Amino acid sequence: MSESPMVNNQLNGKLVALNVSIVYEKNKKSFLAVDKVSLTIQEGEFVVIVGPSGCGKTTFMNTFAGLLRPTKGKVYMDGQEITGPSAERGVVFQQFALFPWKTVFENIEFGLKYRGIPKEQREEIVRKYIHLIKLEGFEHAYPHELSGGMKQRVAIARVYANRPQVLLMDEPFGALDAQTRTIMQEDLSEMFLAEKRTVLFITHSVDEAIYLGDRVVIMTARPGKIKRIIPITRDNLIPERRKMGYEEVVNRREFLELKNEIWGLIKAEILEKHIL
Amino acid sequence: MSRSLEKILDQIFQEKVFLSISSVLGFLLIWYLVTDLLGLMPAIVLPSPEKVFFTIYEKILDPVGEEKLFGHLRISLIRIMVGTGIALALAIPLGILMGWYENLDAVASPIIEVLRPIPPIAWIPLAILWFGIGLASKVFIICIGVFFPTLINTYLGVKFVDPLLIKAAQTLGARDKDILWEVVVPASVPLIVAGMRIGVGLGMMCLVAAELVAASSGLGYLIVLGGDDLKPELSITGMILIGLLGLIADRIILKVERKVVYWRKE
Repeated sequence: MSESPMVNNQLNGKLVALNVSIVYEKNKKSFLAVDKVSLTIQEGEFVVIVGPSGCGKTTFMNTFAGLLRPTKGKVYMDGQEITGPSAERGVVFQQFALFPWKTVFENIEFGLKYRGIPKEQREEIVRKYIHLIKLEGFEHAYPHELSGGMKQRVAIARVYANRPQVLLMDEPFGALDAQTRTIMQEDLSEMFLAEKRTVLFITHSVDEAIYLGDRVVIMTARPGKIKRIIPITRDNLIPERRKMGYEEVVNRREFLELKNEIWGLIKAEILEKHIL
Repeated sequence: MSRSLEKILDQIFQEKVFLSISSVLGFLLIWYLVTDLLGLMPAIVLPSPEKVFFTIYEKILDPVGEEKLFGHLRISLIRIMVGTGIALALAIPLGILMGWYENLDAVASPIIEVLRPIPPIAWIPLAILWFGIGLASKVFIICIGVFFPTLINTYLGVKFVDPLLIKAAQTLGARDKDILWEVVVPASVPLIVAGMRIGVGLGMMCLVAAELVAASSGLGYLIVLGGDDLKPELSITGMILIGLLGLIADRIILKVERKVVYWRKE
């Protein structure tokens, strides 16, 4: 599927975007959604993108997923150009995207079948993830019988069980109520510690971004560009935060300072572009 | 004892079944009033309900033309089942493939778009010319009636599958062929079944139309014979059985629908 490897220094990293621009056509008018974005994500890194609504975050992520080709520029994984979707880059969609005619068990099993994993092994893997997302007893429930939080846990487990090298998560908790969201954030933190993957995560919530991310990428309003990248881990902010509860972390002084800084940048962006 | 009876009566009154039964009885009563009791309609125009019931009873025992009543019913049933079966076996796969493969869509669509608006009964003369007046010509007309609604619904079902589900399948490692069978087909089942329901309803109309024009058996033949022989009770007998047949067919499809679309919210 991919072309010959062309590894050079520029392409060092698990995921690389080079000068990615995306032009959208709508009602015969074309407009720029993403403007020359370059970003390198290292293996095992958890990168979060935040930015005003409609800044092209999702569009940008879709190019890594292989669901959209950039109009200009290129995206790479392990130095190979991304030309289409792959099981190595799992996507958790904002709207869950569970198969409604499949049970919880069958949804989680879906990708494993195409990986050629034998039946007994598949069962074992699915059971493990059902345990991890605390949905024992719901194996044979259909998505319409689940709450929003449960559905999203299934969607995450479906991608996790498939063991992709990269996880792309598009506002996965956006549709959840505050309490469920907190639990999901803690679960994700726990799961990320248990099985380290490379993660690109989109959110509207600054709290969520700081709690989960190693780095937070702040994007500008349309057209989307990178405004600033704030390292969270490198500044050694609350190094043990992934083992701590969400409430505990978000009330720490270091956290609040960081939150102010990031909010300031986003607010400036919103005011400057007169989005409100 | 009387309390529980009261309860049961209460329940009966609350049940919509009670209303439904009353409406049928009311209908029969009005029919009885305008015919027998008040004589507003002469029997040669509108026979009384008991005359129709007597005719049904009589024709179960004595043949009309070549067959007794249930013989005619059986013949009509075979025609509708063979015609529907062939139509579904052609329309569902073709609809799925047209919805999925754009090249096939481009090839088939213009022909289908022209043939589709032609009422199935307009095919009757050609059907007789091609297939004679036996089983094949009726099956052909019924086939046309069932085919197009089923085809169009299946096609639309495939076209309108939530693209998000396809994207999810792609990013989980499913290839095009897997996506067609594992995602697109199950997702379009509700619309396919809805199309079958419309199709079978139309198929019943086609059955009667075909039997009216050229047949010496079947329920449509009874209906036309009743007109020719000035025996409206015979026509009404045929109409009642057609109505019941249609009702049963529709209920069966509803049952099938509930079975295959178990995963939908109520």
